[in-house]
Amino acid sequence: MMKNKLNVVWWVIGLLFFAFFPKIFGIYYTNVMVTLAIFSVFALSVNMLLGYTGLLSFGQAMFFGFGGYGTALALTHIPGIGVLPAIGLGVLAAVVLALILSPLVVRVSGTAFAMLHLAFGQLMYVLALKLYNITGGEDGIANFPVPGLFTESLKSSPEHFYYLAMVILGISTWLMWYVTKTPFGQIQVGIRDNAKRIDYLGYRVPQSKAVIYVLSAFFAGVAGSIYGLFHNLVSADGSLGIGMSFAPIISVMIGGVGSFFGPILGVAIFQLVDELILRYTESTELVMGVILIVVVMFMPTGFVGLYRMLRQKISARRTPEAKKEKA
Amino acid sequence: MDPMVSMYISQGIHGIAYGMILFLIASGLNIIFGMMGILNMAHTAFFMLAAYFCYVVVGITGNFWLGLVFAPLFTAVLGVVMERVFLRKAVGHMGELILTMGISFVIVAAIKKIWGTESLPLQMPEILSGMVNIVGVSYPVYRLFVIGLALVILVFMMLLLYRTRLGKIVRAAVSDRDMVNALGININMVFMFVFGVGTWMAGLAGVAIAPILTVFPGLADQVGMDAFIVVVTGGFGSLAGAFIVSIIFGLLSSYGVQFVSQFAPVLMVVFMAIVLAFRPNGLFGVKE
Repeated sequence: MMKNKLNVVWWVIGLLFFAFFPKIFGIYYTNVMVTLAIFSVFALSVNMLLGYTGLLSFGQAMFFGFGGYGTALALTHIPGIGVLPAIGLGVLAAVVLALILSPLVVRVSGTAFAMLHLAFGQLMYVLALKLYNITGGEDGIANFPVPGLFTESLKSSPEHFYYLAMVILGISTWLMWYVTKTPFGQIQVGIRDNAKRIDYLGYRVPQSKAVIYVLSAFFAGVAGSIYGLFHNLVSADGSLGIGMSFAPIISVMIGGVGSFFGPILGVAIFQLVDELILRYTESTELVMGVILIVVVMFMPTGFVGLYRMLRQKISARRTPEAKKEKA
Repeated sequence: MDPMVSMYISQGIHGIAYGMILFLIASGLNIIFGMMGILNMAHTAFFMLAAYFCYVVVGITGNFWLGLVFAPLFTAVLGVVMERVFLRKAVGHMGELILTMGISFVIVAAIKKIWGTESLPLQMPEILSGMVNIVGVSYPVYRLFVIGLALVILVFMMLLLYRTRLGKIVRAAVSDRDMVNALGININMVFMFVFGVGTWMAGLAGVAIAPILTVFPGLADQVGMDAFIVVVTGGFGSLAGAFIVSIIFGLLSSYGVQFVSQFAPVLMVVFMAIVLAFRPNGLFGVKE
């Protein structure tokens, strides 16, 4: 009972914090917050595959990009479309792509799964560059209208955009968390740990992989769509490039694979490191490469793993009897 | 001769030459994968690095042949260092994939830092720069040389794997590495050797392709992606699969550029998708 009340208090504090964030911290940090929220949802969508189902994808950017391109194309070509239907169309594009790919990709796993997505991701990238008439080639699609829910345009009011983005991304985060708590989410973990046993228990492994794959694409699409609106630009390099597939993987690795909130922490740390290091060097590739190497070699379980290990050590020190029993 | 027919023939040889280069890269990847279960994502970065090493060696000595010998050796040494220092620390296949990807990012960034992003020309030696007449079609000697080089390497690898004691150990380690280790053979040394040979082959391919495509930082993406697709389509760890698919892809790409130039890169991915739809583990892959 006590715990429930405490939870409610935390929720209220959290909501108030996000509600008054733009008023307190000003426009710069408001935009930083939107960026963090977008990449958090993107990283969580990767973690859905990698952490909860054990599928490593090197091409998650294609769903991110499809979300962005879908929304941008809808806003450019359909006159008078609202912002929510536009986002919906972008997400729909990502989901349709996932549905088309799913019969093929759910049959493989491990290395082949990663490589297939690398190939498809590169294919989408090349197509976005080649199909100049639709995608605008290297320039991408820019300066499309961004209508608000209640106002003409969100372009000049970042505060309104903040609320719209945060509500959508917040609901997405909650939905992803909810999925992990359902029995279906538990089956996913089972597939990661022992696919054969889940198969023997009578669950359909490929089908449930396909469901989680499409869900993951859905949320990547949401993130990509908001990202496109936020920058008012969708481009092949910005939304579909190979770096966009690896940024969320890095965040997930830094935060901790498989824990739900680890990736959000990872996004914050990665963005911070990126921001700091890019003041001294131009090369994002170098930064990403070094972070990947360091994390895999020295912190394979990420910060959440580090935290859990430290907590275990501390609690072990507090109860020396327990230690003796083990020995 | 009819110009159409001669076009078909010369595009065909083009395709086979490109297929051979793909095979050199893919078989290096496959040997490493078959033995250690590691898909080396940095493989194509090493392939590109060798082209740059060759550029440097040719720049100093002015001799392409020295580049052909030494650049792949340098690359192999770097590959062995990577295996010893970094790869042994990685946990699980996921860790290996991500770690090697990180190394490939670092290599590409270093190349851009040292040599810049513009494409550097590499002169081929005089003997190979001419044209030769085959059944009435005049054809550049260099590409024939590439085909010959790849065939020599193929035969060399076959002999090494099937006619020597070392090859026997390697083949045994592919099927059961713990047992080989238990028999008193230092499996770590064998791993190191295999990793070196794999990277050496990538290096050879890099040097071979450098005079044709020039040396530029996009080399790894352009050719490397094709090589990865070859490995996935042919089946992980299968040399025969890699060979057949390499040739098919080489021909697809050369005829593709001729007829549907816009969508040549799409052809391979479509081919891969069709193959994987029927055989999820690749043409010659074994179910895990």
